[in-house]
This record gives sequence, C-alpha cells and structure tokens, in this order.
Amino acid sequence: MLLNKESSGSRWRIRPDGQDKVSGKLQYLTDMAAEGMLTGRVLRAQQAHARILSICTEAALAVPGVHAVITHEDVPGLNGFGIALPHQPVFCYDRVRYTGDAIAAVAAENDAIAEYALSLIQVEYEPLPLLEDAEEAMKPEAILLHEEGNVLHHTEYRRGDPDEAFGACAHVVEETYFTPRQMHTYMETEGGLFIPESNGRLTVYSATQHGLMDRRQLSRILALPEEDIRVVSSPIGGSFGGKDELNVQPYGALLALRTRRPVRLHNSRYESVRAGLKRHPMKITMKTGCDSEGQIVAHRVRIISDTGAYATLGAEVLNFATEHVIGPYRIPHVEVEGFAVYTNNGVSGEFRGFGGNQAIFALEGQVDRLAQQLGLDPWELRRRNLRQYGDPGPLGQPIAQTHGAVQVWEALKASPLLRAAEDGGCEGEGSDSQPEGQLPPWIVTGTGAALAMHGAGLGYGIPDPAGGRLSLALDGKIEAVFGYEEFGQGLIATMEQMLVEQFGFAGDDLRIIIGDTDVVPDSGSSTASRSTSMMWMALQRLRPEFTAQLLETAAATTGEPAGELKLGCGGVWKGCSLLISYAQLARGLKEPLVCETKFQYPTTPLQRVGAHFLYTYSAIAVRVELNLLTGRVRITDQYHAVAAGPVANPQGYLGQIEGGSSMAVGFTLSEDAVMTGGAYVTKNMDTYLVPTLIDMNGRIQVEAIEDLPEHDTYGPRGIGEIGSVHLAPAVAAAIFQAVRKRVNKLPVEPELLQETFFTTQKAVGSYAG
Amino acid sequence: MGALQDEPLFSPALRQPRSLREAWELKSACAEQAVYVSGGTLLRTQWEAGTAAVPQVLIDLRNIAGMEDVTRDDDYLTIGSLVTLTACRRSGALASAGPAAAEAARQIAAPAVRNLATLGGNIASGYGDILPALLVHDAELAVYDGNLLRVQPVEAWLERRWSGAIPPAELVAGVRLPLDQGSGGSRLAVFRKVGRREAFTASLVTIAVTADWDAAARTLRRVRLAAGGGSGRPQRLAAAEALLEGAELSRSLLGAVYEAVEHGFASYDDPFAGEQYKKKTAGNLIVSELWQTLELKARS
Repeated sequence: MLLNKESSGSRWRIRPDGQDKVSGKLQYLTDMAAEGMLTGRVLRAQQAHARILSICTEAALAVPGVHAVITHEDVPGLNGFGIALPHQPVFCYDRVRYTGDAIAAVAAENDAIAEYALSLIQVEYEPLPLLEDAEEAMKPEAILLHEEGNVLHHTEYRRGDPDEAFGACAHVVEETYFTPRQMHTYMETEGGLFIPESNGRLTVYSATQHGLMDRRQLSRILALPEEDIRVVSSPIGGSFGGKDELNVQPYGALLALRTRRPVRLHNSRYESVRAGLKRHPMKITMKTGCDSEGQIVAHRVRIISDTGAYATLGAEVLNFATEHVIGPYRIPHVEVEGFAVYTNNGVSGEFRGFGGNQAIFALEGQVDRLAQQLGLDPWELRRRNLRQYGDPGPLGQPIAQTHGAVQVWEALKASPLLRAAEDGGCEGEGSDSQPEGQLPPWIVTGTGAALAMHGAGLGYGIPDPAGGRLSLALDGKIEAVFGYEEFGQGLIATMEQMLVEQFGFAGDDLRIIIGDTDVVPDSGSSTASRSTSMMWMALQRLRPEFTAQLLETAAATTGEPAGELKLGCGGVWKGCSLLISYAQLARGLKEPLVCETKFQYPTTPLQRVGAHFLYTYSAIAVRVELNLLTGRVRITDQYHAVAAGPVANPQGYLGQIEGGSSMAVGFTLSEDAVMTGGAYVTKNMDTYLVPTLIDMNGRIQVEAIEDLPEHDTYGPRGIGEIGSVHLAPAVAAAIFQAVRKRVNKLPVEPELLQETFFTTQKAVGSYAG
Repeated sequence: MGALQDEPLFSPALRQPRSLREAWELKSACAEQAVYVSGGTLLRTQWEAGTAAVPQVLIDLRNIAGMEDVTRDDDYLTIGSLVTLTACRRSGALASAGPAAAEAARQIAAPAVRNLATLGGNIASGYGDILPALLVHDAELAVYDGNLLRVQPVEAWLERRWSGAIPPAELVAGVRLPLDQGSGGSRLAVFRKVGRREAFTASLVTIAVTADWDAAARTLRRVRLAAGGGSGRPQRLAAAEALLEGAELSRSLLGAVYEAVEHGFASYDDPFAGEQYKKKTAGNLIVSELWQTLELKARS
C-alpha cells in the first residue's frame, strides 16, 4: 500500500502535539525560566590536545554578578560521564583531548557577565601532538589518548575461509569507502533549566533520550541518591541520537547545587557544534567476490571508525556497523574486522542509523560493482544473493523470521521508478523532473537502487528494559505512563493512536505521561528504533488485564454483566449506548485502577554482544539529475518499500521515512562537519549545510508492506532509522548509471562529476547528439 | 559595572544620523571604533563567528532620507542603498532595467535575511552576489565622500575597494542602472549562482552575462561577462568579452570563450571547493548560456 493521507482514511489523525509545535506555542525545556535564575556557561578547551598546567579562576570569581565558578575540584562524585564508559571528564584537570572539553563553568546574573567571567579564567596549556587521523592514531608510536590505548573497541567476525574462497571467485571487487562526520543539527540546541528544590532534591529540565539513564549518570557525578534527582526530559526539539548522552546536564546540576539558585544553560549553535556528538566518519575497505553465476562467495571488510576523544557509544556503533556490512545477503565466507579509534576530532557517537548508514553505503556499493563486472542487472544480482525466510541473521544469529527482504525486493522491482528505468524511459507523471527531451545536454539522469536490513533494539548483552503503565486516574482520565521521550518523532501521537485503536478510547479520554523520572516506569531508552515496538508490545500485555479491570468495575458499579460490556469512546458501553463514563467510573474508586508491565526487548539467543533479533527491511529507488556543468546532483524521485509490520501511525510512519531520507540526502550530498587541526571549519549552519525545502522538492513515495508471518508476536517494527540508511548507495548507483563514474566518498564531490563541456577540442554537439 | 566598560560587557552605542554628512562625520570621528550598519545581516555573522569584533559604535544608516527608494527617469533606474533585497527581488522596475540584478537578489540568502539585508550592504561588502550582475548592467554607484555624491562605475569602485583605496568613512548611497537604449528588447541578461546546496547558501561561483543578440548576423554585441563567488573579487572577464564582441557565434568560438573564462577568472581555494572547480564552473555556466542562445534563439 502506498502510504499517504488518502490511503490511510480515518487512520490519518491530527497529531495531538502538532498545533502547538507548528504555531510556536509549545514551550521546550530550553524556553523555560524560573524566578531568580542564573545563567550558566561552560569554558571549553582552547586546544584540541594539550596538558593542562594550571587553571586560575580567581579573576572570574571576582566579577560582580558572578555567583559561582566551578572546576574539577567541585565535582563531589565521579568526575566522568558516558553511557557505556563514564570516562569523559565533567571537567578536565590534567589534559584536554578535544576543543569541546570542559574546564570550568560559571553561573552569573546574565549571559554577558557569564561570558566575561569565562574570558577571565586563565588556563595554561602545554600542547601535545594532535591525532587527526584514526589510522595514524593506531600506529604504535602514536601518543596515547587514553591509558588503555587508542583503540576503543575492536570487532572481529569470521565464518568460512575467505582466503581460499577468493581464489575461486570469478569476479572480485575491492574498494575503500569514506563517509562524513555528519551533525544531528537538531532545531533546539542542548540546554536546560536546573532547579535545586527546598527539600534538597534537584529537578533537571533537560532533553535526553533516556531520562532514567541521565538520572543514573547525574547521581554518580553529584554523589546524590537517584531518588533525589528528578529528570524532566520532554518535549525535545529534535535529537536523532545527539542528546542521548549527557551534554550540559552535569554543569547545570553542579552550578544549581552550588549556588542554590535555578540555573539555565543553553548552548549556542557554535558551542553545540564544538561540543556535541557527530556521526562516526568511517573508512570501510571491502573485498567482495562472486562466482560466474553471480553468487557472492567471499566478503572481507575492514572498518576504521573515527570515534573522537571519548567513548560514549562508539563501541556499540562499531558493533552495529560490523553486523550491517554483511547485511541481507547469503555469503558463506566472511571476515570483518573493525576498529573504533580515539582521535582529537570532537566526539563521535550515537546518530540515527547507528553505523548502518556507513556500512550499507559500502556494502551496496560492492554489490553494484560486482554486477557491473558480471554484466548483470544490479537488482537481479541482489535477488540471487538475498536472504530468505529461515536464514540466520548477518552474524549467523537466530532472528525473528519474516519475508521482509524478499518482500521489499519484489515491491521495488514492481515500483514505477525501477520499471521505468528498465524501459529506459522516464517516469514523468507526478514527478517534478522534466521529460528527457526537454533537458539541456548537460543535464543527465540516472536511476539507482539499494536494499537494507536494519536491526532494532540495543542487541544481545545490553540491558534493554521495556514496560509501561495504564491506569484509570481518579479524575476519570485514562493515563498511559511510559518512560519514553518525544523529540519530534511522533511518539505521543503513536501512543494515542494505539490506545484509540486497540482499546476504543477517544483521544480526549487519554492523558499520556512521558519524560519525567518521578512518575514513569523504566521503559528503556527512546533509541534504536525501539519505542513503537515496545509500546505496542506493552499494550498487548496490558490490554487483557486493564480491559477486564475496567469492565469488572463498570459491572460492579452498574450491575450489568461484565460479559456484555465493552470499552469505547468516553466510557464503558453496552450495545450501542454509553453505560457509564470513565469519570463516573472513577468517582467510585478510592485508588486509581493500575496495570503495569515489565519485560525486556526481545534478543537473539546467540551470545554475541550487540547482535540483533528484530529487523526492518527496506528497498529504495532514486532518480537523480546531474548537472555536468557544475557537477551537482538533484534527487528528483524516491521510492521506499518498507517491510516493518503493521503501520501503527500512518502519518508518523511517513514522517519518519521522509525525515530519515532528508537526513540521508544531507549525508549524501552536502553535510560534512569538516575539521582541521582538531577544530571545526564548519562552525555554524552557514557552512554546515543541511538540505533545504528546495533540495527536498522531489517526490517521495513510501510503500508500507505490513504482512508478517502468522506466528509473529512482535508487531510493528521500528521505522525511525530505516529511511536514512540506504539512500546514499542508491544515489551512487544512479550517478553511475548516468555518467559511469563510481562514487566512493560522501558527500558526493561535484568536482568528480563536473565535465568540461566546451573546449576548442570538444564541441558540445558530441554531448547533445 | 562601570569599571568594566572597556571589557566585553557592553552593548555598542547606537548612533542614528539623519544625513549622509552626519553619518560621515560620526564615522570619521570614531574611525575603527564605529561601523556603518543597515540590515546588519552580514555583520552579525562576522560577530558570531569571531571574524570581526563587535564595534564600540554602530552607525545606523536607516534614518537617512533619500536612500530607500527605487526611482526612474529617462536615462536611469536609481536604487537607494537602503532598499532591501526583498524589495529588489520584487521590483518590477529592476526586473526590467536590470534582470540579472533582480535574479541575483532573488538568489541571495533566505527570506528572513533578505527582509533585513540591503542592497547597499551587499555592495559595500565588496563581494556580494549582486555585484557581478551590476557589473554586466554597466551600473554606477553613487558614493559619498564627505562633501559630494560622486558617481563611478561599479568596476572602478571595486578596483578601489579591493586595493584598499576607499577611505573608511566613504558611503555607498545608491546604484544607478542605465536604461537600455537600442537593443530593441533582445538583450540577453543572465545571472547564475552555484553554491553547495540549492538555496540559502553562500555562493561558490556566480556569473552574469548581458549582450545584444543579432539573430540575423548570429552575433553578440555590447557583451558584458562577469563572475564572482564566495568572498572573492567580482570581476569582468575582458578577454572572453573581446572574443565574443561582434564575432559570429559558433561552437568553436564557444570553446575559445570557455578557455578564456577558465583562464581569466581569478578565484581561490576554500575548504569546500578548489579554484579549478570554480574556474570550470564559471566557464561552463557562461558558455552554456551562450550555447542556449545559439541553439535556441537561433532556431526561433
């Protein structure tokens, strides 16, 4: 089914948080203010790699209007944070490793005073050699950024005997792929409001993708019991992985506790660029071989991932890439080796796609190159190697079986874009590209396609709790309480839609509570394409009991037999009439009716850390227009076929695929946070270029394949990332079809595609003909 | 706080002169401590990036009368420096008298910026995207030197600007474009911009072309070619112009023109594009426009 407003009918609902967001009425946490609040600011390192010889804060402290200047000496607990490895200093004291490193923080009456105070903090540095290149950092003579070495994480996977298998291959392709340091570029930069409460507790209003994880990390830093910290973390103006890790929270919390005044911090875009996470730039070298029939036999991969100065989830991202460089293909002989390497280049971390984007660009590039050598249609080569129902996952692990890979392959094969490409024509209808005949000779077009399977959930061996609570509150509202976050992805809308469709409630009956550690259960993080799946599974578990409780209470109150009652809009119904409203039902209660569930995200039994169990499958075709005068590429058409089980929320689903694809367009064509000497060249959004509406004015069609095998109990799969992971290789394939040039580096460099059209030697007629 | 006035804790003083003379005197008195400002869109990016210090004094030019209008007489279209880029973009008079300049205004920045940014500011930067378009329209600038408003060709002003010969207090008060006399309406006028994305981007390369097309003789006359881009110097491309002037347009001539543009256009490497790419792009864009004239207009 092509997913759109028309095909969705009444399931296309108005988003409950939509109006306030588009009208600007909604207050984000960084818009909040408190009486008597101070402004917090952080002093960041002046050098990308240096020893700190001394830090002097006296002059800053003497500035009128400054209430506190704090350094490492003022951290009562652990001077470190990091979801997986808490080794990033809250405040550096002996050494700085990137220009976002924090050395001190100031709380002052206003921003100007705070900034002035920062300028008075004296830090003496002794420069250390800079590690700007991951492979340089791996050399034995390289200076160590961390005692344990410069390799944060090393992955290996091997099956069969690739060495021998390559010898027997009819065709072998070798290529090295490079991907950019992409920035999340959320609309709302990191920040928050930190309030020391009169009872000794601390309230943190600051965005995160896992409030309870922030609470745990802050508890360690502040040496405060977790129960004394309340983290309120939604709504969020975008995250995409970038706010999963702590950012300003330690500074706000420490300053608030020190001054006993509310403190507000909000990064400028400059500071956000400088200190914030980015997507891991990767260099992926692949050697892939097949037999004369196009059966892929051997595949060898080496991944070098620039993880920057500290760990955050750099190891987990590498695990993900290691799994996804093998992908949806049956390959008997495989060898993968990966390294996540520390450098002085910012901090790389979690980002929508989580290492899949880089891996899939490389893997799909290999398949296209092999097809070229074979003289075979690249889509046909994929068919010959595609995983089938019953096959193990990429790492040989048992996975939840679906027909997803074949389904998306077939759907794309039948898509207008691929059919038109086969006919050698242009699929003009509805597309904004001009018919070929009217294009000037320097505009050439091409169609390309790619396929991906993308794991969801955190994977084997990583705590991945899920759960939630439903209750009938005493005021008659049906409360759904989950520990998830709303950062624009439409989680609240999806939750509402599930409650309406599964229980029969009306939107007005509901109160959805998320993003407050004082009240929510541990539902796990809102990451890894997991939230929708986990909400659905939680409601599946809660529905029988919660429905029964409500109906039995209604039966007891009204004297009607429970078996003849059902839940509906506004209350409990008997036949076609409303018997008792939820408000009336609640009046008879002394305590709320509560149902709670706790479970774990399903994982594979194979004991390999990070290996996934649930996958989403997608195939994409794109049509591009290249301007040979400028070497610039425009994507005029996209067709996504997505197999992710039932569509929980059509508008949200479409939004995720379209939004993911726009991030992929940036990854492919324009986005790269360029660094030299450990400093960002692209310091602001005037040089770091995300796609605009004009860059995104091509058509995007999304076909949702909802069928799951009958025995499947896992319901909707995550679609938060899948739209962003395979556009790049499809564009590269389309470029190749248009101009026979292979792209191995992103973003695509116009220089590569530019032609010299008019020289005295070469007349334009040779093109025009 | 008084003791800290010399330190970063200040807002610049705002002066709002009512006349060019008053503005000029303020700037002369304060020298480097003061900066002229109108929309402030470019200055703001420089302050934020730390490439220019926030000055002690901002001299707000927006209260000076006579620089906010687009007027037309028999010979010229005159546009005051305070006319916003949005107004330039919407001006029918500019679209008619200076279509390449109107197109340049259309492609600069984004609506919110164009609503504030002024024509004068874009010119005064010395590298604004409007400048190549003004060059091919034979535009002249009205420049105030403290005593007189003098009129000088954009090209001469650019020469002074890029050689550092402009006194700091001098002001660009407006632009005038000669109204076309004699091309009979078949004057080619083109502006093209290439950046790193399709909109709201700094330019890598801009080109502008004007010429009279004589379809019967297949020749171009009064040819003006210019190129610029980024923070590079906007420039006329004299060698390529000379090749085209009065010559019969042919494919082999286009090859020679391409080479003359590529050779003649001086640009620079930046972190995102090399000079060679920019030279080729300028050559390709200019010649592709001429090629379209040859192929399409010749047919019609």
